Amino acid sequence: MDFVISILEQGLIYGILALGVYITYKILDFPDLTVDGSFPLGGAITAYFLTGGMNPYLTLLLAFAAGAVAGICTGLIHVKCRVRDLLSGIIMMTALWTINLYVAGTANVPLFSQQTIFKNDTLSNMIPEGIQAYTTLIIVIVLVVISKILLDLYLETKSGYLLRAVGDNPTLVTSLAKDQGNVKIVGLAIANGLVSLAGSVFCQEERVFEISMGTGAIVIGLASVIIGTSLFKKLTLLKATSAVLIGSVVYKACVAIALRNFEPQAMKLITAVLFLAILVLGMERRKKVKTDAGA
Amino acid sequence: MKKKTIAIMMTAAMVMAMAAGCGSKESSASDGDNKEASYKIGIQQFAEHGSLDNCREGFLEGLEEEGIKEGDNLKVEVKNAMADTATNAQIADSFVSDNMDLICAIATPSAQSAYNAAMDKDIPVVYTAVTDPVAAELADKDGNPVGNVTGTSDTLPVEEQLKMIREMMPDAKTIGILYTTSEANSVSAIATYESLVDKYGFTLETKGISQTSEIALATDDLLTKVDCITNLTDNTVVASLPTILEKANEKSIPVFGSEIEQVKIGCLAAEGIDYIQLGKQTGKIAAQILKGEKKASEIPYEIISEPGFYVNTKVAENLGIEVPSDLADSAVESFDTISE
Amino acid sequence: MLELKHIHKYYNPGTVNEMCLFQDFNLTIEDGEFVSVVGSNGSGKTSMLNIICGSIPAEGGQICIGGKDISKEKEYQRNRRIGRVYQNPAVGTCPSMTILENMSLADNKGKSYGFGRGTNKARIDYYREQLSQLGLGLEDKMDVKVGVLSGGQRQAMALLMSTMTPIEFLILDEHTAALDPKTAELIMQLTDKIVKEKKLTTIMVTHNLRYAMEYGNRLLMMHQGEAILDKKGEEKYSMSVDDVLKLFNEISIECGN
Repeated sequence: MDFVISILEQGLIYGILALGVYITYKILDFPDLTVDGSFPLGGAITAYFLTGGMNPYLTLLLAFAAGAVAGICTGLIHVKCRVRDLLSGIIMMTALWTINLYVAGTANVPLFSQQTIFKNDTLSNMIPEGIQAYTTLIIVIVLVVISKILLDLYLETKSGYLLRAVGDNPTLVTSLAKDQGNVKIVGLAIANGLVSLAGSVFCQEERVFEISMGTGAIVIGLASVIIGTSLFKKLTLLKATSAVLIGSVVYKACVAIALRNFEPQAMKLITAVLFLAILVLGMERRKKVKTDAGA
Repeated sequence: MKKKTIAIMMTAAMVMAMAAGCGSKESSASDGDNKEASYKIGIQQFAEHGSLDNCREGFLEGLEEEGIKEGDNLKVEVKNAMADTATNAQIADSFVSDNMDLICAIATPSAQSAYNAAMDKDIPVVYTAVTDPVAAELADKDGNPVGNVTGTSDTLPVEEQLKMIREMMPDAKTIGILYTTSEANSVSAIATYESLVDKYGFTLETKGISQTSEIALATDDLLTKVDCITNLTDNTVVASLPTILEKANEKSIPVFGSEIEQVKIGCLAAEGIDYIQLGKQTGKIAAQILKGEKKASEIPYEIISEPGFYVNTKVAENLGIEVPSDLADSAVESFDTISE
Repeated sequence: MLELKHIHKYYNPGTVNEMCLFQDFNLTIEDGEFVSVVGSNGSGKTSMLNIICGSIPAEGGQICIGGKDISKEKEYQRNRRIGRVYQNPAVGTCPSMTILENMSLADNKGKSYGFGRGTNKARIDYYREQLSQLGLGLEDKMDVKVGVLSGGQRQAMALLMSTMTPIEFLILDEHTAALDPKTAELIMQLTDKIVKEKKLTTIMVTHNLRYAMEYGNRLLMMHQGEAILDKKGEEKYSMSVDDVLKLFNEISIECGN
């Protein structure tokens, strides 16, 4: 049971990150490597404000805002300086490494003595004795559901429509008299905001900020998105955002099972093989305007 | 279609490998079940690294000296996070969900993650190779545990090291240190060095790097400014020690180590911690807890009080440095070859 | 009124491949005109459209709409007054969004794309009515993704979407070229109907001489960056397809085709 709970906790926390990656990778068609920097950015912001005694729930919003700013920077580098998408992300990821160190003050900030969203005085009075063991999971679920619903609602707004259009057919956005660049920047802001939010939650759950926590975050995010959207693409009733969240849990479950049976040294290879297998099996020829235009 | 076949084959191979893994694990589990009063512990190591490996070996030796032997009455599961934070967190969670009797965490991130996961289940955590347990919030200011967690610290004997360098190199003025800006332990060690160098008449020249690829350039730059280099237990720098030694040797600038392994591979000397010893000490603490003699929360963390002196005479000969005889006599171990 | 004044356009400027397309090109299109543009490949038809829309920059000259210079405006800014249908039917619609969502997107052109609901439920009946005019049965597939529609269906939608909101100019860039003859005919009739209904000033580039003669009230033949034939109103109607074809063959022979 504990095993399942810990997988759910980890899977759902990284699910928020996966929602962000879903926006950039699936909707915007933008390979955004900023994620490796914006995930720990959320952690660094959290560490800074929690040790300053701020309300932990407020840090979630600040983490989202900081991530959004990082996303905007990536967008500006790409759109205004005309740097290729992949490189823009790499530049921002590199810059964030230093920024994260400055924000957090040091490479490792323990938060054991701080109030977090999972452990604070108000909460311990509120939650009945019987379900204390599930507190973390319940809070994670609440946060994930809120993030997912807000994202779903956003994607149904006019602005959300435009975001979906820009990854699909950028020319149409221009035809609608809208600047594609601005739409992409908005998308990157929301995506990295979510990633940073995930970083904040992870950091509070682990009760420590560690500078290296972002390494490989993009791989986890991509794997979750691809697992989710490939495995559940036949189920039209399931929203893509739900599929992505389930994908993240499935991915974490695979990792947990692999961890039990293999040496962690082999983990990266196993991840790579799993990743490739799912990619090839779920191969979806993206019908893109650019590719079928031909002429 | 062909691609699909390959993918299916690979997945199948993986599933089979997993199943095989499960099988072998089950058999070892039944072996352990035959013994009575057996313990089940998880060892969570953050990275693959000479000193951390020694800690682990020492830890098991320490337990064995107390009559808790792997295979007899002890089942050990060792997991190495390979410096990946997400894996690290999952290892801690899996140990907790397996209801280990005790978790041994090697290095600071592992200790924090194990403590965090085990907190609510009250599984004792014994850590080792944590440079500053107070800064890591694993102990309060007086050195007492903050929860069911205790262990040993590998605080660098900075003062002894400076004293030793002064004796070996009476004319040296500047000491250089390479460190990784993202390693909290290194940053705090640098601070200690800064506060003590004056006392021994040195000035300090530090060079921060962020990743392995920067080491070569940083070393070249540092070597133009210093009379000798001394090492911390910085993971990135230690892993690239051969590069640093080669460049330093070209300029005949001595490099001092921070522990035995570094002296073996070509550092001139070190006032360092014997990590095997540190591990043993940790193992003994763990034994006390497993046997129920004391609770982890009642044991303050321990440090190795007396660092040992290690010297490599071959390196000294190459550099034309004479090791003062009283120092040479006090060496815990002296090497006359440079191992690759 | 659309005016192109002293347009200069070079391709690959500053290289050995430098090629001059337009040298002091001038064109005035009055409100309400439906101009059909024909010409061989490389004659500058599509380049002209791209310069008007701002998809490619011109090296010199002015583009004015209603007397106002828009040369400095970016492509997306110019698109507020311009609707454009491309040769490739996929460019005018969003494949991964539904028909309803595509219609809603187009319906909002010129307004802000904020946090209001993407689809205005009160407009659905209007969309359905518009789609039913196409006679393709799309009004019953409102929740189908556009990606699964045929090229003709998509092009019909693209035409509908680009003329849904009030625009000053409609630009048709060989919009029937990628369709089979029957569908092309249908789209052409639809175009004519919409243009007449909404009284749109239209520029249509086409390779189909029959369409060029049959539709529109002005005919322009382009050759090497110049308009070598420009007939309006009665002058245009009095010409036959054969006259145009003859002229067309002459310039083609000149080029050695």
